Amino acid sequence: MKNLLIALLAALLLSACGKAPTSEPTAATAPVKSDGPAEFVTASGIEMVLLPAGEFTMGADSGNPDEAPAHRVKISSFAMDKFEVTGEMMSKVQLPNPSHWSDSPKKPVERIRWRDAKQFCNERSTAEGLKPCYNEKTPDWDCDYSASGYRLPTEAEWEYACRAGAKEAYDFGTPDKLRQFGWVAENSEEKTHVVGQKKPNRWGLHDLYGNVSEWCEDVYDPAYYKTSPAQDPTGPPNPGKDVQRVMRGGSWKSTPEMARATFRTGQKTGNTDACFYTDYCGFRCVRRIAPEEFAKLKPK
Amino acid sequence: MKFNPLSLVLAALPFCANAFAAEPLVNQLKTQTAKIVYETYINNNWELMLMNADGSNPVNLTQSPTVHEHYPQVSPDGTKIAFSVDTGEGRDTVRSLWVMDSDGKNRRKLADGAREPFWAPDSKTIGFLPQEFAKFAVIDYSTKGMSFCDLATGKIQPHPNSEKLHHLYNPTWAPNGKWIAATVHAGMGFDHAILLIERNGTNIFNTGIPGCRPCISPDGKEIAWGPGDHEIATAPVDLDSDHPTVGPRRLRITTNKETKIYHVDWSPKSDFLSISRGPESDGDLTKPGTFQSACEIVGVYAKDWNIIAVSAKRNGVLDLNSATDADVAQLTKDGSSNKESDWFQPPAKK
Repeated sequence: MKNLLIALLAALLLSACGKAPTSEPTAATAPVKSDGPAEFVTASGIEMVLLPAGEFTMGADSGNPDEAPAHRVKISSFAMDKFEVTGEMMSKVQLPNPSHWSDSPKKPVERIRWRDAKQFCNERSTAEGLKPCYNEKTPDWDCDYSASGYRLPTEAEWEYACRAGAKEAYDFGTPDKLRQFGWVAENSEEKTHVVGQKKPNRWGLHDLYGNVSEWCEDVYDPAYYKTSPAQDPTGPPNPGKDVQRVMRGGSWKSTPEMARATFRTGQKTGNTDACFYTDYCGFRCVRRIAPEEFAKLKPK
Repeated sequence: MKFNPLSLVLAALPFCANAFAAEPLVNQLKTQTAKIVYETYINNNWELMLMNADGSNPVNLTQSPTVHEHYPQVSPDGTKIAFSVDTGEGRDTVRSLWVMDSDGKNRRKLADGAREPFWAPDSKTIGFLPQEFAKFAVIDYSTKGMSFCDLATGKIQPHPNSEKLHHLYNPTWAPNGKWIAATVHAGMGFDHAILLIERNGTNIFNTGIPGCRPCISPDGKEIAWGPGDHEIATAPVDLDSDHPTVGPRRLRITTNKETKIYHVDWSPKSDFLSISRGPESDGDLTKPGTFQSACEIVGVYAKDWNIIAVSAKRNGVLDLNSATDADVAQLTKDGSSNKESDWFQPPAKK
């Protein structure tokens, strides 16, 4: 009975996400973020989902040591790309696609260095007349979280989006269903796939569990959860040496264990490598949207 | 007891051998008439420098404080230098192809949005790689197609297979004129490879050697390249065949993981190699005209990088971390982002 209720709620949420517009959006007809996730299309034609503000339990006491302690975190509303960034999207902003698999422009970008992902965010912001979040004059391309432009998600935002209100390791339930929701080692045939072919999570986001793992903004510190702030955490400061950045989500080469919503890993940024060969490192973008701006956006 | 002078000679031989072994390599380079041109960063500006084969008498060939020159490539006849020039900033940077006499005079622009020039064996044509997009990206493989500029007429023509050439970098023309070796990254269906591209046709061969930045010896018998960040290798190559092949590695020059070695180039007689060497870094944005990326890439400031030379006649492994001055000559010492060296034999004075 409980499962049925959850399924009904999920179906309601998804149906709310999928409503097609019948006319130009107005403040009156645009989805209201407080009701739940709402899909829309950006000025440059990229599908995003506006996620409501909320509070969730981040991490897991029963997972790997770096996932503990589980702790409550409040997240402000933000919009996240519905799909991973693709080669086609890179070409639109005139950045070279570094991917191992580029046989389809709709395959996710991989082998992308952390800073190059941030460059994409800034270029996309500029193309849409938004204020870029990253200061390209600083070594780490410091992030201005108050800027209107695109950026990488924080680790907390990523997990919040992936969990989509669920408490379990996968928002869809048990690992036997993973094949329906992600390209992972057991079904990927050791390569990436065109984005969006698997079922989305409950908030309408595709490929969070597989295809490519995704860069986050945060420095990776396995002990960070012990001191992480409770509101919109942005990760520990850069230690200056041997820094790793957080990667989240499963990839085409992940085991079900690695595809869990709470699974954490750190990855060298590749900033000093001319060729970055890590062919499961991709990303998607997020941005903050004020309610008045959202009201003017084009709902999907 | 009768004195035998031969015994004295024999007794002295080991000492003589030691003495020969200990002779600094730079002494051999002092006798060379070849020159080396390279890029450096001085006074907040990229410039091209010319030095003797032993590193002596460096001269600033460009002396242009308002534009940034890099990637010098000297024509096989030693008379001209093709190079790239950056103007503008950030993604609005325009990288252009220029040429000048090898004494730095008579510079002129040949093309915009063009990078990584390479010379035809007859010194009459310069090949180059057009930029992938109008907006600038510093990464070296951001190229699309291949073009050739006739130096006499200035006319530019595409490679017959240009439409399919994508994400190439560091091209080099074989002395027999038949093949162009280049690295490809994430393009043309290749993950990463060193390719041999037919100059006048559509054949492309994957050499199968791992790494990047090939350089074919002037005698056409060997290829040098970087199998990784910390190794330069040479191997015999058969470029006269319609199905070219690369043999096993003959010489491996290695360094520790804290140091990178890149940009190998052969001396005109194929008897020495020059290499850029320095610590890993990703640029210094406080320096005008530079970008942030892996420091071996053109336009990225490489702190403490210098140019060294080694003998190309040796075989086996040369570990730079245990090498002596008999093995290695330090050609530059100021560490001011000295990269992309190119040897040439100056033409005989009339």
